[in-house]
Amino acid sequence: MASSGDIREKLRKKRQALQETLAKSKNEDDVQEPEGSEEDPGETLKRTIRAQRQRKKKKLLEQTLVQESHDNDDVEEISTIQRDGAEEGSAEKADHSVISLRSQTGSQKGLSSRAQQTPSSQPQSLDDFVKRRLEERLRAARSKGESLQQQEASLEPASRLQGLRDRDTVTRFDREVDPDRSGRHDASPALSTRVKFREAARRVGKGLPNAEEAYNFFTFNFEPDPPDESERSSVKRQKQRKIADRDEGRGDEAEEQEEAEADEDNEEEHENQSEEAPLVQNEEEDLFVIDQSPQDFLEVKKAVYVGYQNLIQRENEQLFTPSFRTVPTSVKLPENMKPRYLEDEGLYVGERPHVSLTNENILENRILKMEEGKKWFGDDGRIMALPDPIKESSTRPPLFHMEEDVDPSLQTVYRKALKSKYANLYIAGAADPEGDYQLDVDVSGLIFSHHPLFSREHVLGARLAQLYDQYLTRQHNNLTGHLTDKLNGLRSALRNMLEIHGGQSLTQAMQQRFSEYSLEIRTTRQLRDSEQEKDRTLLKNIVKVWKELKALREFQKFSNTPYKLYLRRENVDRASDEREHEDEILAEVVEFEAESEEDYQKKLTEYNKQLEEWKLWRRKQKAKKKKKKKKKKGQTHEDTEDEEQEASESEGPIEEGPPKPEPPERPDFDSIEQQVREKASRIRRKPGEAILIPELSASGNITASELCPRPEIARRQDVARRSLFIKILYNDKEVSRTDSRSLNTDFRVHFGQIFNLKIVHCPQSINLQVFEEIGSSCSLLARVFVPVPEPSVVTGNVPVEEYEFSSNQRVMFDHEGVGSDVPLSFEADGSNKQTLLTSGKLSCCVSWGIGEDDVPLAPPVSQQPGGIHSGLDRLDAVTYIGASGLYDMKKIGEWATQSRLDPNDPKNASIMQLLKVASSGEVTAPEYFRLEHLQEEFNFVTDEELERSKRFRLLRLRNREVAEFRNYKCVPALEREVTDKVFQEYEKRLKEGEIIDTKEHLDSHRALVAKYLQKIRESVINRFLLAKHHYVLSDLVIEEEIPSIGILGLNLFKLAEPKRPLKPQRKERKKVTAQNLSDGDIKLLINIIRAFDIPIRRPQSNKPGQAPQSAIQGSDWFLNQVQVRPFVEVSFQRTVLQTTTADGPNPCWNEELQLPFSAPNGDYSNASLQSVKDEVFINMFDEVVHETGVNDKDRGKSIHTWVEKHWLGSVKIPFSTIYSQSRIDGTFKVNTPAVLLGYSKERSHGANGGYDIMRSLSEGTFITLFITMEPQLVPGETIREKFDSQEDEHLLQASERFEREAAQGYPDRPCITTVIDLNGKTVFITRFIRPLNPPQEFLDAFPNNPQEATALVARFVSLIPSLPDRVSFSGACDLWSTCDQFLTLLAGDEEEHAVLLCNYFLSMDKKAWLIIGTAIPEGPTTYVLTYEQSRYLIWNPSSGQYYGQYDTFCPLQTIGCLVNADNVWFNVQEYTTPMRLSFDITKANLWKPFFSRSFSHPGLSSVQPEELVYRRTDKAAAAELQDRIEKILKEKVMEWRPRHPTRWNRYCTTTLKQFLPKLEMSRGQDVTEGHRHELQSLLGENRISGFPLHLPFCEIRPIIEAVYSTGVHSVQVSNVEFALAVYVHPYPNNVLSVWVYLASLVRT
Amino acid sequence: MAELHIIGQIVGASGFPQSSLFCKWGVHTGGAWRLLSGLKEGQTQVDLPQTGDMAYWSHPIDLHYATKGLQGWPKLHLQVWHQDSFGRCQLYGYGFCHVPSSPGHHRMSCATWRPLGSWQEQLAQMFVGGGPQLRNPDLIYSGADRYRLHTEAMGTVELELGVIMRHFDKYGVES
Repeated sequence: MASSGDIREKLRKKRQALQETLAKSKNEDDVQEPEGSEEDPGETLKRTIRAQRQRKKKKLLEQTLVQESHDNDDVEEISTIQRDGAEEGSAEKADHSVISLRSQTGSQKGLSSRAQQTPSSQPQSLDDFVKRRLEERLRAARSKGESLQQQEASLEPASRLQGLRDRDTVTRFDREVDPDRSGRHDASPALSTRVKFREAARRVGKGLPNAEEAYNFFTFNFEPDPPDESERSSVKRQKQRKIADRDEGRGDEAEEQEEAEADEDNEEEHENQSEEAPLVQNEEEDLFVIDQSPQDFLEVKKAVYVGYQNLIQRENEQLFTPSFRTVPTSVKLPENMKPRYLEDEGLYVGERPHVSLTNENILENRILKMEEGKKWFGDDGRIMALPDPIKESSTRPPLFHMEEDVDPSLQTVYRKALKSKYANLYIAGAADPEGDYQLDVDVSGLIFSHHPLFSREHVLGARLAQLYDQYLTRQHNNLTGHLTDKLNGLRSALRNMLEIHGGQSLTQAMQQRFSEYSLEIRTTRQLRDSEQEKDRTLLKNIVKVWKELKALREFQKFSNTPYKLYLRRENVDRASDEREHEDEILAEVVEFEAESEEDYQKKLTEYNKQLEEWKLWRRKQKAKKKKKKKKKKGQTHEDTEDEEQEASESEGPIEEGPPKPEPPERPDFDSIEQQVREKASRIRRKPGEAILIPELSASGNITASELCPRPEIARRQDVARRSLFIKILYNDKEVSRTDSRSLNTDFRVHFGQIFNLKIVHCPQSINLQVFEEIGSSCSLLARVFVPVPEPSVVTGNVPVEEYEFSSNQRVMFDHEGVGSDVPLSFEADGSNKQTLLTSGKLSCCVSWGIGEDDVPLAPPVSQQPGGIHSGLDRLDAVTYIGASGLYDMKKIGEWATQSRLDPNDPKNASIMQLLKVASSGEVTAPEYFRLEHLQEEFNFVTDEELERSKRFRLLRLRNREVAEFRNYKCVPALEREVTDKVFQEYEKRLKEGEIIDTKEHLDSHRALVAKYLQKIRESVINRFLLAKHHYVLSDLVIEEEIPSIGILGLNLFKLAEPKRPLKPQRKERKKVTAQNLSDGDIKLLINIIRAFDIPIRRPQSNKPGQAPQSAIQGSDWFLNQVQVRPFVEVSFQRTVLQTTTADGPNPCWNEELQLPFSAPNGDYSNASLQSVKDEVFINMFDEVVHETGVNDKDRGKSIHTWVEKHWLGSVKIPFSTIYSQSRIDGTFKVNTPAVLLGYSKERSHGANGGYDIMRSLSEGTFITLFITMEPQLVPGETIREKFDSQEDEHLLQASERFEREAAQGYPDRPCITTVIDLNGKTVFITRFIRPLNPPQEFLDAFPNNPQEATALVARFVSLIPSLPDRVSFSGACDLWSTCDQFLTLLAGDEEEHAVLLCNYFLSMDKKAWLIIGTAIPEGPTTYVLTYEQSRYLIWNPSSGQYYGQYDTFCPLQTIGCLVNADNVWFNVQEYTTPMRLSFDITKANLWKPFFSRSFSHPGLSSVQPEELVYRRTDKAAAAELQDRIEKILKEKVMEWRPRHPTRWNRYCTTTLKQFLPKLEMSRGQDVTEGHRHELQSLLGENRISGFPLHLPFCEIRPIIEAVYSTGVHSVQVSNVEFALAVYVHPYPNNVLSVWVYLASLVRT
Repeated sequence: MAELHIIGQIVGASGFPQSSLFCKWGVHTGGAWRLLSGLKEGQTQVDLPQTGDMAYWSHPIDLHYATKGLQGWPKLHLQVWHQDSFGRCQLYGYGFCHVPSSPGHHRMSCATWRPLGSWQEQLAQMFVGGGPQLRNPDLIYSGADRYRLHTEAMGTVELELGVIMRHFDKYGVES
């Protein structure tokens, strides 16, 4: 045993020993514990509880570890078949019952005796066992001495282990029959050695081991020994023997030890019936105390080999091999049963699948051995089987010629891997906007059917050719022949019917059919007659024209056209022809007779009926008359006339009654024949006459030019001069043109050019324009619209088609050419004039190109909405069989007999059924075709019902985002909850689409414009709808920007900064995207900081004559000390908030007001927010407190005060501006009225502030504001769509580059070089600048004061209402309209105003530029810069104000670009504010020009018209408008004062009215003083406060808003009176200036 | 006037030779069906899974149909595409499945296939990408003689659909 394995074993033992020594101390503790328990009962209790708990835990652990422990156990064993053991063990665990059985068989067979080595575990006894063990341990501890106890304790775990193993072996030995077992008795010595070893190990703990011990330690084989209960003595003996054999040097001690151990083993084994549990327990203890490596439990064994014979034998014992002999039928069937063959009985039995006989036999044999084996056999004694499902021939047709004849719908296309640009198209059908497609346009030629240069002969020739063409097509179609055949067929059918049923009375059905036939014959005959007539006339016409042509040629003595007509005669057999003719006529006559007879009968019955009625009525009438006459007689007879009249009146109704029916005429049969003959001679050739066949040839000679008269020569020369070419326009854009070809004398032009258009955009229109070139000038002759081909139309398979064109141009010549649109006559007397228009035919074809690999480069067909084709069709039986199958019953029947179908086969049932039906009667195939058959039958409801559903309609409208329903939140779940009201508005809008509502707009022109704008808006929005779906990554993914190194460094630097707690840090506000907002989330924050230079109150009319004694006067005097008490009121969306009241003309409020914002319809999308039209009104008021002291004698003095607010001025800021800017910060000029009664500007009030300087610079009141929104909203971006453009590609690229560079270098400076015009095309900006004349009357108004004229022009421009594009196009884009469009629309953005103003200035010989910059509050905007009198002026085009360059209050903040007609200059200076800029555009280092020397101006023409035409505005209309506005405003004021009477002071009103035109004349300036004096003299007795408002006119609503916001109506004093005057001043082109003078008067 | 709501998502796809997939989808219905709201076709984002084979899209589907008959019950057709490292897209599979006809929540997986093409095409596909595609994508859901096609099995697309039916019982359709 000195092999390497031994050494390994020894090493292992050593390790084990070490572990054991380590474990010892623990064991000692273990034992110690119970000892201590004796002394303390409490401790015991505790311990028992703990033990119990431990037990439980162990139990649980056991369950899991049992398997493992088992394996470990086996490994420890000596047995050679440890694997077996392990396996068996595990098997045992799995199933106890099996174990018993297995062990039995195992013993029987003598196989693997080791199998029994692991006895079955009894888990239920485990608990008991553990308890007992604990008790036993305690007992042992008590009985033994102190020292012994120590030793015992250390041994105990091992011995217990041992015991277990002993137990194992016991069973094994019990049944051991294997002889080779005996040779392996080394187990017992191993035990002793182990014990010994333990002892040694123990000793190691005490001292050092001696040499022998050391030797033992390394050499002994520690094997579990197998002592036995029953054979204890023998074991002992063995042990002793072994000891003697092996180890003599062992002392008595060891023996004793062994003895003791053996005893203990004994003891334990008695108790320990369930061997597994303790093992696990112990092991677990060991295992968990110290980790033992798996090697400690492993042993390497030899491979087990069982001899082949053995194996076979063993297998034979276990396996069952069925024999392959045939089983007799009797065995397979139940007792006393005879096999029954179903097939013989006539039942259908399918063909059984083929199984080889041997296999079948084996199977049968096996099945018979099984339980209930017989149930697998059928009545015929064979195994039951379904019919063979495998078809003999493959149902799949073989796939030959894969490539060639695959159904086109199945073809696959190899597509290259696509860049995602093209790939992000939707699936199946959704027509993609872009693709790689090619359109081939083949322009082959052109034939004129009329041309101005046609000579008369040409005209006739063309007509002849045309007629001949017509003849040929008719001949080709041969309609007459078809109809004649049909007629004959019908006639014979009818005749047959009559013959068959000749004598018999006809049945109802037959009669029906009969009448149907005759009807059919009638219609067919009529058709044929008309066709024949046409043929005849055509032929006649041809001949006539030819004759005319010949006459003309003869007359003019030359010929221009090569046409020649031959008439070929085809002789016919006269006799037969005549006979046919006669027959035909006869047949017709008979039919006619029958028909007319029938008609007559019908009419006769009708007549009789009518006659009856008439008679009845007549009788009644007579009776009535009699009555009446009787009555009459009773009356006075004084006035006979009267009676007569009455009589005639009463007769009237008689005449009105049914007229007496005329009896129908009896048809005249003689005349019928006459008629028929007449008709025949008219429309048919005469019998026996030869058939004429015209033939047109172009073989005639054309007279040479020399021989022609002069005008003809001139004409021919003219023809030769001309040439033609064709432009090809794709989507209204010229893409190509043909070469120009000269016009031939025959007026045919051949081009023969093919253009391959590579297209990106969806084809909308393909347009060919025919141009005629004379010398260098060319003119458009005609347009030909070619339909966009279907995707299946591919080049190569399309014939060239002819498209007719014509033009209504009027052309006249002085030579032979007949001209166009000129009356022309061929008659000698000039009658019968014809007017010919230029026309012709263009032959071309348009088709989709084919790629290299035969892939059609066509866009896919767009899917039909609703998916009309569906896979359902295939489910229908009829289509499945095929439509032809139904008609071909015979064929099916034939086939059925041929193939000898088994009629009993259920598979054939349907065919059999069909055949039966077919043979019994006729199957009527439906005459109609249905797309989705059986659909109707299974429909729940009809379409109409589905359409009617209001709920569905609502849902769909919402889904379509129709404006009214876009934000409809809750659609009711029930149909009845949807009211009709919901749709009212929508339907109204649909209905009113075309009706112009003048009420809203007061002015028909504006109404039209509004409609027009609406239309433009819709079209623009549609255009952008598609573009909106193009997202880029940043639209969808919000990515925090990665800080660049620079920022990082800066931040690091900030870290080092000293902390300054008093320095507030700006916190970045988070931006919110609009979609997840709801009402109330958004607030508008308005911070009103301060105002300055507010007008102060004037002392009230201190007329010398009045004594200031009254209380009011007194208070006035007191209040006069206060100059003004202003406060600010902010109103937005009808929410009104106000600040506190401050004092003085330069107040400081510094207050924040929060106004809630709600979006229209609760739609917080970008588009919706951008189109919010609401404005923030910031009104400044003066709070005036009046006191009325009332002396109440009883209770002392009480003072009543009332507070009045007087409007001082306002600022309004559109919400769209706030939204797009996200914050507005600055000082604004308050829009103060021109005259403010009772107030004046304080001028010379000392030098108490730094504002004086500013005041001197700029007049007016100013307010400092800060407006923002909470939370901050992300404004929508404009569309990045690239637009069509007619600009040069170079220019576009250059402008893109220019803008990009500008954005990179100076990101905050706006730079625009290209803009989008109203047609949605990109246009270079300089094209918009062109000097345009202002209305002449402005220039005439101040002939010698250009300054004034300039101001007037600016005022005119500012009076055109402003409408931000953002609002009108819901933020889609910024569109620029040209000046004429702008003046027509009368609405536009700042840029339109600026362009118009700039153009006016240019025409007034000023130097003017467009400024592209930013201003407050508009944001990015456009101003105008002028240079006059060596200073620069900045004009605000929407207000008409101008500012000097150094004006502090100029709203323009940033200047980005300057634009004029020649160039664009970008500001590259350090600063952007106008004050610090130099406007010297010649310096390239200050202003970067777009067109420079390297890229010169290409000479862009302007898009503006050459001249503007102005309409004079109707004065009367203005006056009418004025009255209407006044009336409306008065009504409104009264409406706003529901609780108080509103009195109007007429006197004041007229005064004010007179005053308003003056204000308009002076443009609201410098009239205050005189005006006031005038007023005051008039109204001295009243305290008056009022002001004129001035507005450009666009709609009535803003005027009402403005009046409302001043709050004049809110005066509550009882004796208040109002005055309201309106003046509308008309300017040219319907630009209206509206003045509203409002005043309130309080009688003092 | 029965109504059908289909609410769910295209969860993702697995079993494709490569990840980095996206899916184009559409719903096809018969003529009796009327879309009341929702989008009936769309495309998912490209998902490049970092772990595992499954590409997750979690693409929402929310459709509301009204119908006047059962024919043409909605079916969902899918195209799975692969975006390679050059940003090029190529077809990876066609598939279709019926929208479940019983109400409730359904987990479905839709197997996909793609046309195989000739050996030249396969070779080209291996090296330069791309691949054969159906000329007529209707074939995905219409059962024409597809047996003529040589196809290759691709992965499966996982779907989760919730189906809500309304008023079907009124017309004798028990759900």
